[in-house]
Amino acid sequence: VQPPEKPLQAEEWNRLKESFQSPEIFEEVMLNSMIRCNSPIDVAKSLLTHVAKSDGDIAYNLLVKYLALCVQQGQTSEIHDVYDIMKIRFKVLESGAYSLLIKGLSKSDQWRMALTLLEEANQLMIPSRGNYESCIKAASRHQEMNLAFQLYHEMLTKDLVPTLDVLQALFDFSRGMKGAELQKQLFGILLYLRENQMYPHKTFMRSIKLWFESIPGGNWRGHLTNIKDSGQCPVCNHQLEDSNLTEEEYNDLRERIIKDVIHGTDTFRKTSPQEFEAFQTFVENRLPFDIVIDGLNVSHIKSRRMQCENLFEAVNCLAKGNARLLVLGRKHMLSNSPNWKRAVMKEMQNKADFFFADNISEDDTFLLYATLQSGKHCKFVTRDFLRDHKACLPDDLTRHLFRKWQRGHQIVISASGEGKRNVLSVFVQQPAFRYDCVVQTTGDTWHIPYKDNFDEKYSYEVPRKWLCIQRK
Amino acid sequence: MQSANMLLKKIVRSSVLPFAAQHGMKKDFFLLTRTLSLSPCLKQDKSCSPSEKLDLDAWKKVMKSGLQEEVSETASEPKELSTFAAAREILEMWRLAGRLVPENISEEQLKTFMECPSKSAKKKYLKYLHLKELYKKSDKRKMEEKRERRLETQDQASNPDETKRNSFICSWASGMDRAYSWRVAQSMVFGQPLVFDMSYEKDMSIREVANTVRQIVFSEGCNRKSADPFHIHFCNLKDDSLYHREFIKHYSKAWDKLLVTVTDQCYTEIFPKEKLIYLTADSPKVMKTFDHDKIYIIGSMVDKSIKTGVSLARAKRLGLETAALPLDKYLLWNTGAKNLTLDQMMHILLTLKDTGDWKAALEFVPKRKYCGFVSKPVHELKKNLNLINTLKLGKRQKEVGKQFAKNYSKKLTQK
Repeated sequence: VQPPEKPLQAEEWNRLKESFQSPEIFEEVMLNSMIRCNSPIDVAKSLLTHVAKSDGDIAYNLLVKYLALCVQQGQTSEIHDVYDIMKIRFKVLESGAYSLLIKGLSKSDQWRMALTLLEEANQLMIPSRGNYESCIKAASRHQEMNLAFQLYHEMLTKDLVPTLDVLQALFDFSRGMKGAELQKQLFGILLYLRENQMYPHKTFMRSIKLWFESIPGGNWRGHLTNIKDSGQCPVCNHQLEDSNLTEEEYNDLRERIIKDVIHGTDTFRKTSPQEFEAFQTFVENRLPFDIVIDGLNVSHIKSRRMQCENLFEAVNCLAKGNARLLVLGRKHMLSNSPNWKRAVMKEMQNKADFFFADNISEDDTFLLYATLQSGKHCKFVTRDFLRDHKACLPDDLTRHLFRKWQRGHQIVISASGEGKRNVLSVFVQQPAFRYDCVVQTTGDTWHIPYKDNFDEKYSYEVPRKWLCIQRK
Repeated sequence: MQSANMLLKKIVRSSVLPFAAQHGMKKDFFLLTRTLSLSPCLKQDKSCSPSEKLDLDAWKKVMKSGLQEEVSETASEPKELSTFAAAREILEMWRLAGRLVPENISEEQLKTFMECPSKSAKKKYLKYLHLKELYKKSDKRKMEEKRERRLETQDQASNPDETKRNSFICSWASGMDRAYSWRVAQSMVFGQPLVFDMSYEKDMSIREVANTVRQIVFSEGCNRKSADPFHIHFCNLKDDSLYHREFIKHYSKAWDKLLVTVTDQCYTEIFPKEKLIYLTADSPKVMKTFDHDKIYIIGSMVDKSIKTGVSLARAKRLGLETAALPLDKYLLWNTGAKNLTLDQMMHILLTLKDTGDWKAALEFVPKRKYCGFVSKPVHELKKNLNLINTLKLGKRQKEVGKQFAKNYSKKLTQK
């Protein structure tokens, strides 16, 4: 329905209502479309007046919808009135109304009232991160940075993940302000980004840069740059943290993989205890490997060619530097089928070690185990993102470790263009990053990776652009 | 007119509103709106003064003024609410705000609600209760309508003169029951066993267990009514397990009279291993024919979160043969998981047992999951594929197409 353009008399509303197909929900539908069309609130008021006069009461959901319209148009005094009415009419309010009230009031000069409302909502349930966002923005807009940070920490203790928007607002409004405490707080946000492997986007990065440069007497200078493959920053020649896990992290990850990915709830789901044991002794006897290859994955690179040929070329390519190879496959590869010629398999087995798992076992889990068991230098080859295995890990921390390890150790092979038929060029898509892609600092320098656009990053990709900040 | 209106409002407010507010139930509100819908008509009858100035904030006055008395009432009430009462209040407000929340909620449900770990879990649980309530209500309404209709027809057809000539006493239901029971009892002696493996309790949530038991109850029902029933075994069923409690809930006293074998032993202890076949959608082997000498095992599990390979793992651990239904061979699969509900499995197995006809058996696969039966023989499919490939790839790549078709047909025949 199209909402009317100016306030209507009761009779006119009645007529409209009667012409509407389902009169019971007429007011609701009408208010919804008013919100959509952003109608003047006088029109909504006239509808409410009509409802109040004919029913003697206005239902809660209509009040909330009216409130939404007021918030949308920033009508502070109306928001107040609606709040007063709701307060006397109902014992408690629900989260939707609180969210609207907080959002509406936080933008007005009565923003402190939003804080009391947040407090009130807090007693009923955990406020959403949107509620905190409104309050934090309001506080920082009025230069009450202490208050803003207090709310920010309260939010973190409730396990709410702040939006990048809030964090950006904190940087924006602290620009040019003095104070060691404030500086510490903002560094804290950067460390939060580091710990949670979050990457700021371009505009946020700019806010960070401007804040650094605005610190009175700080002499910070920021530059946008790309880090060299060696991990050196071209601006300040600083070497970034390398991507290797620490000894402790590495062992932790290895144990987790064995416990949660390979065994999980039931060892039989992915393999069988006998098979896993056989594989373990097989690996122990031949350690360490340099590269572990997922045979079946690699054999499907070029669909038009025989699968064993694909694998053969990959093995030839990777065997060049005298590397010790392990190829994982399944038993059916030995059956001399059209895709798996026995002669080719024989020849490959001279160049690399092979382990054939049962046809119904999952070879990926063996890939992870063999690579981790061989040590930090060992890499693995597959095009698989291994997401299902990552998902088996129980907590975020281990999943981050897994991601980091994967970034540093996975080699992705893909076939080159149609022209070169015989050459399988190996290009490593992500050249097994040598440096770690997280926010990092040495005290005198900060290096912050950032996303160029809002939507270009997949979760498995890491940004290639960096902000280098150093103290002159 | 004004005064009449005011009077009306006064009456309404003082009599109905506090009542509705106190009870806070939808019924009462309905009552309220129904009585009040008269007032605009009254108004229209009396006057239509067009020059009436519109007071836009009149609604505020109405809302505020009408509630002064009430405020004093509520203020006198004790302020502290127990957590349960507070939760109830919030639910009520959510309902007023138009969220999917049940009208009535029991203490037990409220407790489950409060124990939900996250906001979305709470929301989901409330929606579930809400829908359940809706179904219950509409069922009740339908029942009442039915009863009314029956009463009407009884009134019409009350001709006592017509005597019925019938050699049977009209007691179909119990007679059928007895006949079915005889057949199942017979199958318990001579029939082919069918095992339900009840060892998945810890892989499921409480609701999944409830769903499982419901599906088993359906399966048992259709087994009882079939011409040649299976001898059903519930294996690995521990006393006082969740399964067991749910069964008691469904069958109550009939549970002890049920013509099935219930045991806490494993099927491997009861039957020879080589006769057992575990049916699981994850199995690499595809069932070709129904074997009357084998004992089929169905895992009693509803898997709402995707846990692949759980039942295959059971079979692997015990070294049993496995099989999957030949769904891909006979059906052009559309969407949905290949795992079927337990009662669908039961229907399929019963049909196979009686007729051996895959087409008839697989009629019980839900229609939304497949587009149709694979009707053409394989070589015709191959011809079509060839045609499509030549059209698609052009003449130059004819060879490739042929190769592909060959592989494809091989795949089909392998299955």
